[in-house]
Formats: sequence, C-alpha cells, structure tokens
Amino acid sequence: MTRFQRFPTAPARLVLAWRAAALVAAALIVGVLLALSGRDVFVLGELVLRSTVGSRFGLEDLALFMTPLVLTGAAVTVTSRIGLWNIGGEGQFYLGAIGAAGVGLYLPGPQIIVLPLMALAAIACGMAWIVVPTLARAYAGVSEIITTLLLNFVAGLLTYWLATGPWRDRVTGALASSGRISDAIPELWGVVHWGFPLSLAIAAGLAAIMTWTGWGYEVRVSGANPGAARYAGMPMRGRVIAVMLLSGALAALAGMFEVAGTVHRLQGGMADNFGYLGIVVAVLARRSCLAVIPAALLMALILDAGIVLQTQQLAATAVLAITGLVLLLIAIGDELAHYRPVAPASSTRSGAAA
Amino acid sequence: MKGPGGVFTERRRPEGVERGPWDGSSVPSGRRSLLRGAAASFGAGLIPGVLRPAFGASPLKPVAEEDALVAFGHTGPITDGGWTTAHDLGVQAVRKAFPKLKTVFVESIPYSADATRIFRQFVAEGAQLVISTSNYGDFIKDVADRAPDVGFLECDGHTVTGNLGWYYITHWYASYIIGIAAGLMTKTNQLGYVGTFPIPSVYASANATLLGAQSVNPACTMRAIAINAWFDPQAATQAASALVDSGCDFLCGITDEPAYLRVAEARGIKAAMWNLGMRQFGPKAYVSSVTLDFSRFYVEQVRARLNGSWRAAPHFLTLSDGVDRDAWGETVPPNIAARADAMRERILSGYNPFRGPIRDNTGAIRVPEGTVMNDDAIYQWDWGVQGMTGLG
Repeated sequence: MTRFQRFPTAPARLVLAWRAAALVAAALIVGVLLALSGRDVFVLGELVLRSTVGSRFGLEDLALFMTPLVLTGAAVTVTSRIGLWNIGGEGQFYLGAIGAAGVGLYLPGPQIIVLPLMALAAIACGMAWIVVPTLARAYAGVSEIITTLLLNFVAGLLTYWLATGPWRDRVTGALASSGRISDAIPELWGVVHWGFPLSLAIAAGLAAIMTWTGWGYEVRVSGANPGAARYAGMPMRGRVIAVMLLSGALAALAGMFEVAGTVHRLQGGMADNFGYLGIVVAVLARRSCLAVIPAALLMALILDAGIVLQTQQLAATAVLAITGLVLLLIAIGDELAHYRPVAPASSTRSGAAA
Repeated sequence: MKGPGGVFTERRRPEGVERGPWDGSSVPSGRRSLLRGAAASFGAGLIPGVLRPAFGASPLKPVAEEDALVAFGHTGPITDGGWTTAHDLGVQAVRKAFPKLKTVFVESIPYSADATRIFRQFVAEGAQLVISTSNYGDFIKDVADRAPDVGFLECDGHTVTGNLGWYYITHWYASYIIGIAAGLMTKTNQLGYVGTFPIPSVYASANATLLGAQSVNPACTMRAIAINAWFDPQAATQAASALVDSGCDFLCGITDEPAYLRVAEARGIKAAMWNLGMRQFGPKAYVSSVTLDFSRFYVEQVRARLNGSWRAAPHFLTLSDGVDRDAWGETVPPNIAARADAMRERILSGYNPFRGPIRDNTGAIRVPEGTVMNDDAIYQWDWGVQGMTGLG
C-alpha cells in the first residue's frame, strides 16, 4: 500500500499545484458562503475579475498595489535567506517616507536631482531605523523579531507627530498630512509610476545577487547552516549586518515610492500595513527573491478583490476573513507539498514473512 | 441657491470671479453678510492653492433614477453609534426618497492610498455621484480629477474643483451653546476634550466649546488630547480617563463613537457628546450632544444630480438645519439649560458669538476687538484659544 511521507523540501511544481488547488478551494468555499447569503456569485466573480485583471483600471491598481509589496516582500525575503526575520518593514517604510518627505518638502531643486536625493535619504533613514536591532543581533544575539517589531510603533507615532506637528499641512489643513510634495516620480501608464518597473528590477537584481555572487552564496549558506558557514570561515557577523541593513533600505525605498509616486505627502497611517503584508509576501515567495514578484501579485489581487467586494456591500471584516481563508488554505497547501507518495518499503518484507 | 425648503446655505460664485469659495455673497443670513469683511481678513489668502477657475463650471448632465448609482465612502463602521451612523441615516433617507436608485457604501475606509482605490472603484462601477463622509483630501481629489463626469462631495473638505464640492455642518454654534452649560456646570473649571487630529474642524469644535464656557465662567480652561483616530474607542477611553485623572470634570470631544460618555458616567462627571443623541450610554453624565442630520442635504444633492442641476460647490449646513444641540440631559439644571438656550435663540436670530477680542493660547490677540469670525474663518481655524492646552 502506498503511503505518504513528509520530505524536508518541496518541489516547486508540487507547491504550485497545491496552491492552485488551495485557491480553487478558497473560491468554492467563499462562493458557497456568498450564495447562501443570497448573493449572485457569478455576477460578483465577474465584477472582481473585471475590476482587477479585466480592465486597464484594474491593472493600474494592481501595479500600484504591487510596487510597495514587492519591496517590503523582498525586505523580509533577504533576511529570511540568512535565517532572520525583519518584522520591522512597517517602521522602515515609515522612516523611508519621512526621509523622502523631508527632502521633498524642504530641499528645492530640479526634480532630476531631488528625486534621487529623496531615495538616498529614505534609504539612509530606513537603515538608521534598523541599525540598533542589527547590532543587537550581530553582537549580543538579541532577537531581531522583537526589536524590529517594537520599533514599528515608534515609527508610526513619529510619523503622526511630524504630520500633525512640525510638518503639518498649513495650506489645505489636510488630515494628519504634511504639505504636498511637488517632486513626483513620473507616471508611466495611467496612475502607474516608474516605481513599479524599478521595484520589479530590484527584486530581479536581488535574485541575481543571491544566486550568482559569492556574497549571495555566503548569505545562503549562513542561513541554511550557520555552523558550517562559520567552520568554512565565512564572516557571519558581517553578512548579518549587511543583510539587515539591506532589508531596512528596501522597506524604506517602498516608503519613498509611496510618498513620491502615490500619496505625495507624508501621512500618518500611510504605510497601510505594507510592512506586515511584506511578511506574508515573503512567506508566499518561499525565500526566493524572484518569487517575490508573483507573490506580491497574488497579494495585490487578494487586496484588490477585497476592495471590489467592499463596494458590493461586503463588510470590511468579511473581506478580512476571506483574505485569511485564502492565506490559510495556501499555507495548508504549502505543507501538503512536502508530502510525496513513497513506495511501500515494508511490502517486500511483509511478503517474505508471509 | 436654496433647496426647495430653503434649507441649505449653498454658496455659488458667478463664473470667472476671482474670489475664495468662502465668499458669502448670495447668503441671506444677516450673520454672514455682516461678516464679509472678516472673511476677507481671516479666510482669504490662507488657501490660495486650492482655488480653481473651474469652480462654477456647467452642471453635470442629468441621470435617470433607475440608472443612477450613488456611492458613499465612510470613515468608520455604520454601527459606530455616532458620526457614520448619522451619515447612514442620510443614506437611508436617500434610499427612501429615490426607491429606484442604487446606493452603495464602503465602511472604514483607511486614510491612505486605499481610499483612492475605493473611490476609483466607485467610478469604475458607474457611480454618478460619490459622497465621502469624511475628509479624504488628495485621495478623493486625485480620483475626481480623472473622472470629470462624476460628481464628488467631500464632508469637511476644503477643495472645490469642476466636479468636487464639499459640505460641512457649522457645529461650532452648537458647541458654543453647550459650552455655556459646561462653564456653568464645571466645579474644577477644567474641561477635558477628547480630540482626534489637530485640524480646523477639531480646533473649531474645541475652541467654540471653551469660548462658550468662558463667556459665563472666565476661569475655564480646557485640556485636549488628540488620539490620531476618528474611530478608536479604546484610545478615546484612555484619553478620557487621563483627562479625568488630571482634574477635568466635564468631558467633550469630537470622536465618532460614545466611548468617553461611558467614562464620564463611570467616574461621576459630566459629558457633552456629538453626532447623535446618545443619553442611553450614560444618562447621569449626559448633558447634551451636537446632533447632526444629513438627510435633507443628501436627498437634495441626489435630486440635483438626477435632474441635471448639480454643480460642485461648498455647502454649510447651519444651526437648526442639519446641526443642533440635543434635548438637555436629565441632570442639567433647568436654569442652566435656559441660559444656554437663550444663546441658541440669539444665534438663530443672526448673532455671532465668535467676536473679538479672542486671544490664542500664547496670549496674543488673534481676533481684534470689533471683528467677528464668520463660518469661513472658523472653518480654517488652526490655533487654540486662550486657556487651551494639548491640541496641536
């Protein structure tokens, strides 16, 4: 008789197959529940598809959603390669937004100079925000999960303070906002700005670095087997510091793109959970920087579908429950992908005994 | 322009006139026409960037009722028992008045780029009129600019374009009236204010309450806490408790829900609310509430959109027409209620209590003797009056 055994690795095709099954199962469960509550599932489904992938408007929104998700997802993915978890993407996102907004608001100059300076300031702020957790991790072994997480709340409050205090908008009195920043990332296609292709290029570049450079190899080995890496003389501490700073820079760049590409102001609450959603994206991407792109697309689809469903009078809480269901089923699918049928090794022995 | 019942103070400028949207040239009220000079000194020049010559453009094309979709975007859940519930009552009035028309709403829209997505989705689904029941600033303007055939209305907005208008209630008069009761009822002379964000509508509400209190009890001061949220009952409860701990014995505020009334009831002090009458959450503590009613305004706007007369414009809903004080609470002494109501009568007959000298919280005179602040100036209020701490 065939039995299933859990393997430590899961082949990509199995993962994909199980995830497809998970999505179908989620669609069926949600469809049945919606039908039971008296809604026309096919009309809803058609509307969701048309409003996400079936119209230019929907595609623009998907790209806008994906831009920060790719970067925050990549931020978590690079740390996961070395066996760490940067839960502070939200805070680094805010610091990136603060750095970019500070330059955009108070540094006059031609856009071609100000925009790169905004990006540099964002990266510097994001790195500064993760530097204490990084050093605590590298030199004292303090769990980066706790330190990066707690700094998120500080960053959120700092943003609110700036946006309602010293940097608040004195022109239109906009709610919890700085003034409008005139330097904007040029738009590429409708509301989609150049941050979108840039974020895709960054994810692809990271994948190349991780796969093909000696540095990437050392990071991967350090994550997979710290003992072996140390034995091989790899500079673990240096790699940990570099990877965590890189992670902070990536999340901060997402904040800069959001400020300069989408929101054009520093705003309390503007991170919109992109930092935390980056963790989900990284889990979906299974530690591959390249897979961050389709994972961010899936996350963007789920979030966008949630918005469409809300306009169809589904409560925000119901939409949150559906999102949770989809992710839960995908997690189950990922786990099932580790199981493969094995030839019944005991059959010959039992046959011999008989 | 006035509604059929003569209810709404709708202010429209002739095309091409280079003036601010706060210019009350067509307003019949004696209060406003008296104060046009003050409008110039307090309002004009503050927000030059938001004026657009498109204001006063031709009205949007009519829509048949059965083809119409009106979309509402709410900042909180419609069950918040306050702000969003009040707007939802307006939505229900629209449904009743126009049974063939479709309405949709989305609750708890975050103040982030998600708001843009939701408003864009409304447009994509074919809405002809999009009403945001809270201030979404650029998030709604960006969408409106790309959908010139769709009418947009933003509550507490400050921008008027060819297809985006705003509306707001002049709640400061009701706050002033309730402030008189607060000034007479407080024993510690310290009022507590559960604030949300340091923005003009919040300054106007807190300042008006304190000025009302000081008009009968000059020793009154106010402590405010901004909780950085409209709907966060837990933060509101914490803020209210902290205010009571620091010596305040009268709470007021501008949160979307009734949490601080329960704190007042539990701590044996008084509270004045806003949005709706809500004495059931604290009958002993309840003094009154700044009650809001958007029904007539929403029905009027939808009717205008359907019959092709809708134009983007700023609208103030005035005292007794969309905003008022609630019936006084059971523990309010009748003589205090009568004194506050006497001011209500005066305001209704055209008196403006917001007159100089008014000092800011550094002691500097900001509104000189002999000058009054009209609605447009109050709507831009961004400083706390003397005796106010903790806001901004």
